[in-house]
Amino acid sequence: MSRRKFLKTAILTGCTALVTGIPLATYVILPSLKQEPGNWIDFGSVEDLEPDNFNMLSYEFMVKDGWITLPQRGFVWAKAEAKQQIKIFSSTCSHLACNVIWQKETREFVCPCHSGRFDAQGQPIAGPPSRPLTVLEHKVADGNLMVFMKV
Amino acid sequence: MNNIPMKTRSLKLLEFLSLEKSADRLLALEVPKDALSWTRFCGALLLVLVVLLFLSGIFMAFYYSPIPGTAYDSVDFALFNVPFGSVVKGVHHYSWNLLLMVMGVHLGRSLILGSYKAPRQMVWVTGVIILLFVPLFIITGDLLPWDQKGYWSTQVRLSIISSVPGMGHIAARLLQGGSLTGVVALTRFYVLHILMLPGLLVLLIAVHFHFIRHRGLSEPLGADPVSRPRIPFYPNVVNRWLFLFIMVSIILGVISWHWIPPFGDPADPTDSSYIPKPEWWVLFLNQLVSVFKGGLAVLGSTIIPAGLAGLLICLPFIDRSPHRHPARRWKILLPAAAIVIAILTLSIMGYMEHFVLVEN
Repeated sequence: MSRRKFLKTAILTGCTALVTGIPLATYVILPSLKQEPGNWIDFGSVEDLEPDNFNMLSYEFMVKDGWITLPQRGFVWAKAEAKQQIKIFSSTCSHLACNVIWQKETREFVCPCHSGRFDAQGQPIAGPPSRPLTVLEHKVADGNLMVFMKV
Repeated sequence: MNNIPMKTRSLKLLEFLSLEKSADRLLALEVPKDALSWTRFCGALLLVLVVLLFLSGIFMAFYYSPIPGTAYDSVDFALFNVPFGSVVKGVHHYSWNLLLMVMGVHLGRSLILGSYKAPRQMVWVTGVIILLFVPLFIITGDLLPWDQKGYWSTQVRLSIISSVPGMGHIAARLLQGGSLTGVVALTRFYVLHILMLPGLLVLLIAVHFHFIRHRGLSEPLGADPVSRPRIPFYPNVVNRWLFLFIMVSIILGVISWHWIPPFGDPADPTDSSYIPKPEWWVLFLNQLVSVFKGGLAVLGSTIIPAGLAGLLICLPFIDRSPHRHPARRWKILLPAAAIVIAILTLSIMGYMEHFVLVEN
């Protein structure tokens, strides 16, 4: 095969790959990288929080998942230390996304998947997790607890 | 009725289909007689299992609807309301479990007997690539029934993928088609599982066979390569394979009939009480992840598994001595045995942690 013939076929192959590859890659890749805006979720009256303990607060809000709108469900851990001192932790373990559970007796968050444990400040104290639990942004509006949830 | 018109008629048909040369080549094809020995039927068994997985998968697709919620109901319907439902799903389930085990034996035999040595390096390399490729089927297939186990295992796997430095986060998003594990993710997993991955697997198997065809089967240790007896591929090998296929199908069918394949409760993203348990084949990786803590986490989740995979692929180029007898290859077999023992130890540790200690 001459160098000329080889180059000709190589260039045509490259063009074929580009002509089909660019639309296909854009079709599959771009929509999956789109960032969704977050939502402020109302968790009801601050007064209802049991003091000095982490409360499991369930949420459900509608999110757009491609071509359908679906309820997104889950829960967060909330503790009201004083009137203005509220701490909200995401229930997602910083290790591998299992849900952590608050243990009232030992005052720890325990992840059932790999036995990771966090203290009441959300700092990892045992097991594989190395990062603290995510603290969620919150505000109190008209006596109601609002938490900013990212999808 | 004599034989002559029949022969010419079949010849005429072959000629009409332009297959007469291919038929001659097939009939002339010979393989070493030891190809049919009982110590080397793993490859044939793997091909049986792959064919069974393809067939049972195609059948299950007839009753499957890839929408969260509906997916669970469709699998439930196929399993309990369709004749042979549990057999079809069961054959799929038991076949892939068996496939992983037989692949391990297939690889182990090759390792111990040194059949990866020149001129068969590429047979080994393509085989290892197939071995590393198969878990993608499990990752994508596990979510499809939309039961608790599939959903929560997928969440764990996606965060493992996300934790891989560099491309991990983007890879997880591409796989999911966004940030949710919902209808978009399920559709992607479905298309990958039933279309793209099987297509690639057929290609990989074809390449594996290409090298076996051209580089041949390794000689039995201590055998004289000159006086190696040969047998025709057709009908000896073909018939033996068909017999194996029938036996394996019946055995797996009966097993599935008696022990219905596992199918949990519908997926519930809010159910924090559900603890996904790692599958047996992934226990050692799971344990590696929990052995290395803090800053070393990358070591367990990425560097060691990737290093092991790299070593496995490169083995024919690391061990280049012409010797095949295990006694003359202890420098390779001892570290390999150490790695196997480490994997088994981690698996047992993982089993204790996730299955035995949890019960107490």
